[in-house]
Amino acid sequence: MSSANRRRHANAIPIASFVTWVFIGIFAAGGGLAYVWCKNQLYSTGTEIKSLERELVDLKNKNEVAESKIAQLSSTAKLQERYDTNFIKLVPITNDHITVLSNAPTSANSGELRPVSNERTHE
Amino acid sequence: MNQSAQKRALTTCIALAGCFTVFSFRLVNLQVTKHDEYAAQAAANHVTRQTITARRGLIQDIHGESLAQNEPVRTVVADATLIADRSAMAELISSALGMPHPQVMEKLGREVYSQALKKNVPAPYVVLKKEVPDNVASDLATQLEKRKMRGVYFEPGSTRVYPNEQMLCHILGYVNGQNVGVDGVERTMEDFLRGHDGFRYSERDRTGREIVPYRGQEKEARNGNNVRLTVDMGLQNIVEMEIEAAYKQFRPKSATIILMQPKTGEILALANRPNFNLNVQENVPEDHRRNRAVSDILEPGSTFKIVTTAAALTEKLVQPHTMINCENGYFAAVKLHDHHPYPDLSVHDILVKSSNIGVAKLAMQLGDQKFYEYVRRFGFGERTGVNLPGEIGGIVHPPHTWSKISITRMPMGQEVSATPLQVTTAMCAIANGGHLMMPQIIHDITDDQGHVLTQFPPQEVRTVASQAATDAVRDALVEVVSPRGNRDAGPGDGVQGRRQDGHRPEARCRRPLQPRPLRHLLRRLHAANDPAFVALVLVDDPQVSHDKNYGGMVAAPVFSRIGEKAARYLNLKATEEVPAGSVMARQNVSDYRDQ
Repeated sequence: MSSANRRRHANAIPIASFVTWVFIGIFAAGGGLAYVWCKNQLYSTGTEIKSLERELVDLKNKNEVAESKIAQLSSTAKLQERYDTNFIKLVPITNDHITVLSNAPTSANSGELRPVSNERTHE
Repeated sequence: MNQSAQKRALTTCIALAGCFTVFSFRLVNLQVTKHDEYAAQAAANHVTRQTITARRGLIQDIHGESLAQNEPVRTVVADATLIADRSAMAELISSALGMPHPQVMEKLGREVYSQALKKNVPAPYVVLKKEVPDNVASDLATQLEKRKMRGVYFEPGSTRVYPNEQMLCHILGYVNGQNVGVDGVERTMEDFLRGHDGFRYSERDRTGREIVPYRGQEKEARNGNNVRLTVDMGLQNIVEMEIEAAYKQFRPKSATIILMQPKTGEILALANRPNFNLNVQENVPEDHRRNRAVSDILEPGSTFKIVTTAAALTEKLVQPHTMINCENGYFAAVKLHDHHPYPDLSVHDILVKSSNIGVAKLAMQLGDQKFYEYVRRFGFGERTGVNLPGEIGGIVHPPHTWSKISITRMPMGQEVSATPLQVTTAMCAIANGGHLMMPQIIHDITDDQGHVLTQFPPQEVRTVASQAATDAVRDALVEVVSPRGNRDAGPGDGVQGRRQDGHRPEARCRRPLQPRPLRHLLRRLHAANDPAFVALVLVDDPQVSHDKNYGGMVAAPVFSRIGEKAARYLNLKATEEVPAGSVMARQNVSDYRDQ
């Protein structure tokens, strides 16, 4: 009897304590893994940020190049050059093709606008 | 334990304690006393300060047309310490950047003396090529990455591009290699155009790549502000075409044309010859870079008569109809001639006929001090204050230095020198009812979002003459171009305003220069009392035969064409009565050409 009790006491597995340590181990390992995962995420996000920044700079540069090109092609000097070389098919309006109409006269009596007047009818 | 063993143990303990004490002191020394120093050294090894370059502001005309742009470029830099195969790298770079292979080899082979190693080592920083276009640099970077080659970097930057090349070169100016304005508006507006670079502290790994999560302090770059000029590129183009044609036709030493709005003092167009291409800075003679409109002086000649007449009228010493004895063409007391003999002329006619004797007598009535005061009031002898570098004030001597005949010579524009801009500004004062305006070249300053930050409103310097006096002078100027004017004084003289007999101060007997106020438009717009602009055409020392060397035959046709085109461009309405249904444009053209 006494020997059986002694064996039971000697070989007893402290389940609660074991489980506690297992959980602690799991948490520690999980924590470590999470830390490594987060760190990796941080680095990969950083790399992504860097590549996006580079892309943004490239786009901005391309935009500036395009703007500069547009400014050059639409500049007064360039347009004049293109006009001079007949690239722009514009025909200047000569002076004998410009007519400026004077303001329509008003009637002396009523003050009404008289777009057409025929002096002979009054004579 | 015996005594010797105790001794040994004690000795060992003391030795260990001493040893740890030394270590402790060293530890304290490293971690506490010299913490900052070593921390800084450690940081310097892997923390870098990255500059975020700010964009320089744009320069635009009054309608927003871009006159100065930025174009992104890269500087290709090599770190020879990281290059494994120099020959292969040189081959790749020479083909990509269009550089000779030996030149690249020479650059990559450069060595510097290392103090630490006490020997020559490959140079860690060699500039291979500057101002490489962005697309070329990107292609090279891709190839380097593909071939896994290290040791070549690209530093971002930008270069200034002027889309209109030669046009407005003297107004815009240019920048140096560090993107700092050294001339023109680029220089005077440097504080506004220049942005403020930002920075970022970041850590790098052993391969030199940035560790983004460990970024430190960061400050955004602030781009430069945009500067909008008062210049109208439509008018500038007209002026440039005409000045170029005149420069080719007459082959003068130099030429200047200024168009200015008298009410506001805004410069609408300004061109000089010789000029240069702003995008090609190499081998440009210094003489071509000079803005002659503000840095050259000339004797204003008969254009100066307006000052004398306006002064006498403002002081109410005379009226426009007051008769002055013009001594029949020769004023013996001061040895002064007129081009034609006139017995008596009214003040109005003195200006119309451009009588030297008449204006000399007006000046004598004013007296030395008063006349000098008016000359200065019209802005002669001082800088106009325009926002352009290199402006000079001209020369007006004070009365105590005058000779006995100075009072008779200065009224006709001799013994005085002024810049073309000063002459134009003074003429604007006459067109503007006696209000002298400060010439403006900057209209406003906006940020890169387009919000107006600063405006440059018209600034009246002072009132230089009464309204009645300037009206009388304007009436007389109008009549100069009539058959009553002084056209017979020489072919074309007086065609477009005040006759000009000015000479360079250093060479008085040279051919006349031809500053020309925009007379015809003044006349046409006089009734509306709202002159659109005043123009000055200056052709210095034209290469023409003696019988054709007159303002009317050199400068006047240039002015005439500018006036005609500018009037059409600005859609100016004629104030003269136009018969209904008539072809007004043709009439206007002949109007100009007849004169």
